[in-house]
Amino acid sequence: MKPDFIPAALLLLIATTSSALAASGTVLRTDKLYSQPSATASVAGTAAKGASVTVLAKQGGWLRVTAGKTTGWMRLLSVRVGAGGLSSSGLGDVVGAATTRSDPSRVVAVAGLRGLNEEDLKKATFNADELARLDKWTVTAAQSKSFASQAGLVAVQVPILVEPKPAQTPQSSWENN
Amino acid sequence: MKIKHIALAVSMLALSGTASGFDLGKLLEDSVNQELNKNQKTQPAQTTTSASQPSTATPPSKQKIDVNQLGFALFGDYTPEQESRIGKQISGDLLGAVPLVHDDKLQRYVNQIGNWVALQSGSKGRVWHFGVLDTEDINAFAAPGGYVFVTKGLYRRLNNEAELAGVLGHEIAHVTQRHHLKVLKQSSLIGALGQVAGSQVKSSDQAVQNLIGNGAEMLARGLDKNAEFEADRIGMVYAARAGYTPWGLPDVLQDLAALPAKDERTSLLYKTHPHPADRLTELGESVGGQFDAIQGKDLPGRFYRIR
Repeated sequence: MKPDFIPAALLLLIATTSSALAASGTVLRTDKLYSQPSATASVAGTAAKGASVTVLAKQGGWLRVTAGKTTGWMRLLSVRVGAGGLSSSGLGDVVGAATTRSDPSRVVAVAGLRGLNEEDLKKATFNADELARLDKWTVTAAQSKSFASQAGLVAVQVPILVEPKPAQTPQSSWENN
Repeated sequence: MKIKHIALAVSMLALSGTASGFDLGKLLEDSVNQELNKNQKTQPAQTTTSASQPSTATPPSKQKIDVNQLGFALFGDYTPEQESRIGKQISGDLLGAVPLVHDDKLQRYVNQIGNWVALQSGSKGRVWHFGVLDTEDINAFAAPGGYVFVTKGLYRRLNNEAELAGVLGHEIAHVTQRHHLKVLKQSSLIGALGQVAGSQVKSSDQAVQNLIGNGAEMLARGLDKNAEFEADRIGMVYAARAGYTPWGLPDVLQDLAALPAKDERTSLLYKTHPHPADRLTELGESVGGQFDAIQGKDLPGRFYRIR
């Protein structure tokens, strides 16, 4: 069976009968599936951009997925977990509806809660009292270092990430959605 | 187009310059000439404007101009103090639209984590302020100088301290990369803004306000998508440097990507940011295997949960 055509009912069945981590997903960039969550492990296969996968487990920067007949570990950033499909294409609304249907808790969460909108922000006037409250909670560098070390956090050297070569991302914003 | 803007700024500042006794016109004229000369190297066909020629109408400057006091006028950088004054004004406007959550423990906790992550940026001379906004909207904001806000709606979705560190890291990056100041600089008013922000006079707060307009509205317009992608990359790095797992921010983006498209709580977020799936894809292109050797902490146990 082609993964793209797994009936929604079957997906629902999977989602409700197996572990909480079993979810659908979409491959965001063509990448390898490894036998272990490590790039030094043997390669079990490759999943192409746009392919549907089933996400079975997560470990750090890795997801255990089934793509077609192959199961293995893919990089977290190569897969979008959930039913949204590839990127922000016009499918968003359809997918959103599908998601709410398969997850009743979310419908409850959404109902009656409105967000900030532009009008709220445009009408805003300077609030000095709230700003003064904000000042009250400021902590010093020494305090934050102490708080970090209480949890065993130690600063490590990590080089900056370089910008990817252009023409990798589709031109999109959700403004028109 | 650009020249028009510059010329407008010059004329505006020349007016205020007369009032304050500085010869701003001359200073800005020099800056404008420099900038135009730069342009002329790449665009030889550029037509000259009155601003690009030495003006006989402006008398030569007699006094030494303290560039710092003038806020580096059009083309320079702001001092941390000037940035902070601009950020304070924008933040006060935002807080006029949505107040802070009444939970001192929560706010203090977020400031502890935020400061620790901000320390990893190597940024000097900034006083960082972090606040959780009392709204179910799912979003986060930053303002120049070191102001960072997370909504209660977004905070509630977080599962551990590493995710909070990732979100704060993204916003801290907007500050350290001066993304909002770059937006302000595209406006012709920016030179004047630098001047008033550099002033020590108390009443100049109102002048800063007048010049940036409504700061909250500015936040509602958002930044361009490349600034968001850059903040994602840097945010991951700051969180990792702070000893957290770098995967906190991607985990949050995965969670947001799974929300229904029509959820009202994300409408502003999606208006001002690329779709989370695009952000994951873009991050993936940069990250590759670069974090494979990093073992950071999640700290779900210490994460402060809103009642």
